[in-house]
Amino acid sequence: MNFDFELIMQSFPLLLLGAGVTVQITVLSVGFGLLIGMFVGIARLSTLWPVKVLAAIYVDFIRGTPLLVQIFLIYFALPIIVGQRIDPFIAAITACSVNSGAYVAEIFRGGIQSIDKGQVEAGRSLGMTWVQTMRYIILPQAFKRIIPPLGNEFIAMLKDSSLVSVIGFEELTRRGQLVIARTYGSFEIWTTVAFIYLVMTFTISRFVDYLERRYMTDDKH
Amino acid sequence: MISIKNIHKKFGKLHVLKDVSAHIAEKEVVVIIGPSGSGKSTLLRCVNYLEQPTEGEIIVDGIPLTSEANINKVREEVGMVFQRFNLFPHMTVMQNISLAPVKVRKMPQAQAKKEALTLLEKVGLSDKADAYPEQLSGGQQQRVAIARALAMKPKVMLFDEPTSALDPEMINEVLDVMKTLAEEGMTMVVVTHEMGFAREVGDRVIFMDEGRIVEEGLPNEVFLHAKEERTKAFLSKIL
Repeated sequence: MNFDFELIMQSFPLLLLGAGVTVQITVLSVGFGLLIGMFVGIARLSTLWPVKVLAAIYVDFIRGTPLLVQIFLIYFALPIIVGQRIDPFIAAITACSVNSGAYVAEIFRGGIQSIDKGQVEAGRSLGMTWVQTMRYIILPQAFKRIIPPLGNEFIAMLKDSSLVSVIGFEELTRRGQLVIARTYGSFEIWTTVAFIYLVMTFTISRFVDYLERRYMTDDKH
Repeated sequence: MISIKNIHKKFGKLHVLKDVSAHIAEKEVVVIIGPSGSGKSTLLRCVNYLEQPTEGEIIVDGIPLTSEANINKVREEVGMVFQRFNLFPHMTVMQNISLAPVKVRKMPQAQAKKEALTLLEKVGLSDKADAYPEQLSGGQQQRVAIARALAMKPKVMLFDEPTSALDPEMINEVLDVMKTLAEEGMTMVVVTHEMGFAREVGDRVIFMDEGRIVEEGLPNEVFLHAKEERTKAFLSKIL
C-alpha cells in the first residue's frame, strides 16, 4: 500500500484546528466538572440525607449510563422538553461537564475522606464553622492528594470528548472524518489523529507527574 | 464554669457514659483518670460537643449546648488539645496559630501574628514560627497545639491525653507549659495518665471506670486514701 505523506501534510493544519477545539472542550468540561464535582463530592458526605441522596443519584446515573447516550439526551432529547434547538457547542460542553462532574465528585469524596478525622475536630474545636473548616483545612489538603486521579480524569475526558463528533461538533475526531470523506485517506488520517491524541495525553500525563512530584515530595505543603 | 448534668452517651449498643454529672468551677484544674475505655475521653469531648451526648445537659459559661450557634459560641471559649496534636500540616506554625483568631474572631492579621509570637514565646518556640509541623518533634508540636488553642483566648482548656503520644523525654516540656497555665489561673480539664502531674497541679481528681464517676476528691485524698475498691485497684497498678 501507499502511505500518502503529502495528504497528511495538507490536512495537518485542519486537524490541528480540531485538536485545538478538543483541548477547549476538555479544559472547559473538566473545569466545570471540578466545580460540580467539588460540591457534589462534599454533598455525598453530608449528614443531611436529602442532599446525600440527591448527590448519590446524580453520581450513579452518570456513571451508570454511557457518555454517548448522555450526549444524545442533551442534544436530541432535551430540546423536545425546552422546545428549542441546542447549540452543539453548548450541548457538548454540558454533556461532558455533567459527566466529568460525577467522576470528579467521587475523586473529591475519596480525597476528603482520606484526611484524618482529627483535622475536622481541631478546626471545629477552635470555633470554626463547618464551611470554614472545609475551606481552610480539609480541601487544601485533599486537593493535593487528588492531583493524580484528577490528571487521569483530564486524560479520560480528552479522549472521551471524541464522542461529541456524533452531534457534528467539529473537534479532532470529527475533523478527521470530514477530511476522510473528501480524500478517502482513512489510513493516513486515522493514524495522524491517533498520533495527535497521543501527543496531547502524553503531555498532560507528564505535566501531572511534575505537579505530583512538586507537591508530593513534601506531602504536607 | 462547666456544668454537666446526667449525661449518657451511647455508640450503638455500647453505653460509654452512664449518668455522669460534674461541675467544674472557674480557675479549677480537674484531672480525670481511669483505665482505657472508662469513658474519660468521651466525657471530655462532650464538653465541646465533639461528641454529642445521647441524653443530658451541658452548660458552659452559662451557655447551654443546644443549638449549632451555641455550640460554635462555646467552642470559641473552650480550647482543646488532642492526644495526636492535630496540627494543620499544610500550614506553618504561625498560620496554625493565627488562623482561628483571624477567621473566627475577625482579628486583623497583623495583630493575630503579634499575639501568636507572644504565645510561641510562652511555650518556648519563638524560633519555630515559620516551621511546618512535620519539622517539629512531638513535644514541640504539642506545645504549638497548646498555643493554637490559647490564641482564641479561651476561658477553659481541655486536654485529651496530651502526653500519651509523646516520647518519654518530651513529656515534661509539655507538662511544664500546662503547669504554667494552671498557675496563671486557667480553668483546665485534663484527661491523663500522668499521676505526678495530677497530684502536683490538680485541684481535684475524678476517677472514672466503666462510664461512671467512681470517686472524686482532692488529689492526695484520692491517691493516698481512696475509698472505693476499684480506685485502689487501679491506683495500685499504676503508681
